[in-house]
Amino acid sequence: MDHTHTHDIPAIRLSLPLPYQQEIFREAYNDDAFFIIARGLGVQQIVANLLHAYDTVGRSLVILVGATESDNTQLGEELAEKAAISRAYDARGLIVVNTDVTNVGSRQRMYARGGVFTVTSRILVVDLLTGLLDPTKVSGLVILHAEKVTATSLEAFIIRIYRQKNRSGFIKAFSENPDALSSGFSPLSTIMRNLFIQKSSMWPRYHIRVAQSLEVRKAEVIELEVGMTPAMQSIQNALLQCIEISISELRKGNIGLDIEDWSVDSALHRSFDVLIRKQLEPVWHRISSRTRQIASDLTTFRTILLGLLSLDAVSFHQYLETILASHAPKTNTTSHTQPPWLFLDAAETLFSTARRRVFRGEFPKRSVPIDIADIDLVLEEQPKWCVLSNILDEISRTRQSISSQNRGGPTLIMCHDRQTCVQIAEYLEANVSTSSLLDESHPSRFMTRKFLAFQAWKNDFNLFHSSNAIRENQHQPVDSKNVTLARKAPANKRRRVRGTAQFATTVRDQSISYFSESKTNEANPTKFQMLDDFEEQLDTQTPESLGYSEREFKMHDVDETIVIYPYGTDSDDSLLEELKPRNVIMYNPNAAFIRRIEVFQSSNEKSNDTRVYFMYYGGSVEEQTYLSQVRKEKDTFTQLIRQKANMAITLTSDSNLISDPQEQFLRTLNTRIAGGGRLVATTEPPRVVVDVREFRSSLPSLLHGKSITIVPCTLTVGDYILTPTICVERKSIKDLISSFKDGRLYSQVEAMQAGYQEPVLLIEFDQDKSFNLEPFLDLNTVVSSTQSDLQAKLVLLTLHFPKLRIIWSSSPYQTAEIFEDLKKGHQEPDPIKAISVGLGDGDDASSIYATLPTEMLKTIPGINDKNYKHILLEIDSIFELSNAQESGLTRLLGQEAGRRVHRFFSSNIYSHSSGD
Amino acid sequence: KIQKPSGPSSIIVNTRQKGNPLLPYIKSVPWEYGDIIPDYLVTPTTCMLFLSLKYHRLHPEYIYTRMKSLGKAYTLRILLILIDTDQHTDPIKELTKSTMINGLTIILTWSAAEAGRYVELYKVMEHTPATMIKERQKEDYMSRVEDFATTVRGVNKTDSLGLISMFGSVRAAVNATEDQIGLVPGWGEKKTRRWCAAVREDFRVGG
Repeated sequence: MDHTHTHDIPAIRLSLPLPYQQEIFREAYNDDAFFIIARGLGVQQIVANLLHAYDTVGRSLVILVGATESDNTQLGEELAEKAAISRAYDARGLIVVNTDVTNVGSRQRMYARGGVFTVTSRILVVDLLTGLLDPTKVSGLVILHAEKVTATSLEAFIIRIYRQKNRSGFIKAFSENPDALSSGFSPLSTIMRNLFIQKSSMWPRYHIRVAQSLEVRKAEVIELEVGMTPAMQSIQNALLQCIEISISELRKGNIGLDIEDWSVDSALHRSFDVLIRKQLEPVWHRISSRTRQIASDLTTFRTILLGLLSLDAVSFHQYLETILASHAPKTNTTSHTQPPWLFLDAAETLFSTARRRVFRGEFPKRSVPIDIADIDLVLEEQPKWCVLSNILDEISRTRQSISSQNRGGPTLIMCHDRQTCVQIAEYLEANVSTSSLLDESHPSRFMTRKFLAFQAWKNDFNLFHSSNAIRENQHQPVDSKNVTLARKAPANKRRRVRGTAQFATTVRDQSISYFSESKTNEANPTKFQMLDDFEEQLDTQTPESLGYSEREFKMHDVDETIVIYPYGTDSDDSLLEELKPRNVIMYNPNAAFIRRIEVFQSSNEKSNDTRVYFMYYGGSVEEQTYLSQVRKEKDTFTQLIRQKANMAITLTSDSNLISDPQEQFLRTLNTRIAGGGRLVATTEPPRVVVDVREFRSSLPSLLHGKSITIVPCTLTVGDYILTPTICVERKSIKDLISSFKDGRLYSQVEAMQAGYQEPVLLIEFDQDKSFNLEPFLDLNTVVSSTQSDLQAKLVLLTLHFPKLRIIWSSSPYQTAEIFEDLKKGHQEPDPIKAISVGLGDGDDASSIYATLPTEMLKTIPGINDKNYKHILLEIDSIFELSNAQESGLTRLLGQEAGRRVHRFFSSNIYSHSSGD
Repeated sequence: KIQKPSGPSSIIVNTRQKGNPLLPYIKSVPWEYGDIIPDYLVTPTTCMLFLSLKYHRLHPEYIYTRMKSLGKAYTLRILLILIDTDQHTDPIKELTKSTMINGLTIILTWSAAEAGRYVELYKVMEHTPATMIKERQKEDYMSRVEDFATTVRGVNKTDSLGLISMFGSVRAAVNATEDQIGLVPGWGEKKTRRWCAAVREDFRVGG
């Protein structure tokens, strides 16, 4: 065993300019601790430096746990860069093990060579259990997003397996999300127990060292409160009314619901839909369909509330139209009910006001192109746009007034998502080209363009709806090559092509800038054919040339560039460093980004002062969310620090037990399980064969906690093999409903019955904190048809499979108990046999299938439980399948099924009328 | 020995079930008392035993003698358990094990009404073919598209319609880039990324 747990920091170059960053780094390098750091203070930088330190040592095997895809990209880049700067030739950078590394052998070789790895949790847990990765060979774990390490999480399972076998390796955990630790009973000590870490280290913004570091040079912040237009105000009010009525409706139907502190104000700043859903979750299977409908309506309201601020008036109206259409009663079904809120007066106000922001009067219901001069257009602009162009004007004026050397970097506009980025880029560009004839009464070019796109969409959509109820079989397949890629979407592509000179809107996590993308699009001009129609219409409207020339491009020097970015999670740090912007316009408020600017500003003492413009809509969701975020983070830190102080004694007594980790975690687990599990001392340890796909659930972890050996395998039949005769298929209530619906459960039980003497269906209820089985059926609510359906289907299933046994379990904890009980006095299952059950000749047992795309595949008409495997073996992804030739599909699936699959993808909902 | 039911369409109820609150809830099928070994004889091959957990706590041995009394008779043997107490985890664990040994299938219910409905359902569905649970029900094209799209977490009905109405065909929606999808109203960044990742993710993972 080779441990690199030395206390001397190797001679590497750190890129941590601020004192507090260096302090966290030193602490992290020397100690195992759980670091909770306020958002925006640069966790990523610290982790990157830490990993680099391990990377340069060589021969160590350090594993990064819980990293997201964007973490991997970002850290990978950082590590490569640092290796180059430090001239550390041994450094291998961040080695990513994800679903792409499919080969078991190559994974084993990679681990053997050592280095800094980042491994997808689901792969890591299986590799640790199968011994592909020997825990004793691991120098240490670095855990990101540690707030997610709950007792039943996969990450907690990984840490436990590691600690059980390896007591000397290090564990260091980082969290940038203190809010997640604000609920539950002593959340801090719980998480630390899961992490096997005894020391915590808190770094709020108000930490003295942080404050000192950041207050060296303060950024100049100009706050701009933008008022909403009267129409926006009345839409927001109407929405709040809808929400209020829905909530009181919920309260009536669900007496136990804790929404007493509900107020319209809280609707503005809390993710109320999530809160309510969380409360309903444990009883989700028994609440009435009306309650369920209202809960999902709340999510819709929240999306609309946010859309009101972020979408332009035309897109907002279009979104509302889509909502209406998707809830419209279908002609072929009688049971369909519309959501109750659609009948409210407030909803009427909402829809009509949104429409009036776009146009007045009736929308002509004809498919022929309508001259837009015939429509009484309003095309209300978002108030922020005007403010934004004013700021940009001001910036460019200031620039001209100061000397050329001192101009500083580009202007950076930050907004909350990419959709907004594109919107702003388009708006600014259209605005620039029309600035000469800008006047108040004339709707902007940008909005006109949006409207034309909407008009085309609307016409098609009406056509499609009036003909209604297209049957799958009536469809005329469209030739795959000639499908116009995205009817409206390219409109924006075109804009971007022109706009790139000035507005390099870049998407970092993908490392594509719109600039490079647009080049490839220009090489393929056929895609824009449809667009030209719009252009022609447009040009007759405003006869001013839109021409862009190379010359114009060259006139702009770098410093006048305007760059638009969405707030990323971690990439923002390096963004500021790379761009060194002179002016930052925060189009949407974001607490973390303010801090990033502070960090950037203080780290670069030589650079110019950065001026920050901070925009928000007064009295809106946006403002409230921002304020409550800041408040909540502060409160949480205070709370956590208090918890830490109270915890000190308990932890030291606990640390004695740590000497025997196995004892420790069993004790920890057993206190949660009523009754307490006992270990059975037999010569052969109890064993359960578990399907690899089941590692998404917490059950394998809990079984492992009961000292049952987990053997991960790819099973064709069943999820858990308990004994040579008992095979269990696990279903949560949600799975149960969906697998009844698509017939999957029937074939699964059929296969279990064929392969095992005792087929078992495990119905596992959501983990409920009070461990109560909630009533299936609530007499206070109306018995809805779906509930009775579930029971009827269960009856039907048992009637057809009388040998099927059902295990009812209130939580994964109880399931673990029941499994342990059922295994007593029985033989252990044979993994080799379990794998072979249900396999036909020539079936490949060694491959694992990705769950989500496979589930999607199974919803496609023509695909069933028997033939989907043919697709999996021959075709790589849904993407590839969608572009497959009909002949290829019929070869794989047969005439009928192949044609149905092909038709599913190629049917064009707009072209059927001409095609029939 | 199996008692022959007097009428083909009625459920035979053991006289010891007299007073069971579930009986009034058997409404849509006729039932009558009869001299049978199980508590309910729904069809000649389907029988049921009823157990209230409250009663089980007081008389833990009762249900075992009843299970034994069934012997090997009847094809489908249901143990209908009424959860009428908070202390259910241990008895259910223990009953799960013994029903596995004795060849009974547990059905849990939380109210007399629900229990009655189960008894009734076993009779009503006696001859129902499995088509309802065997295969996907026929649906129109748009519902299939909805099913397909909403498999991705966070994508709802409205999003699905927005997507298909914007792109015209499923193929175009699958082929679209993140930027293009991001322009569909209602499709935020997370949703967009999830969708694009899902349709491009390789089916085959492990090696």
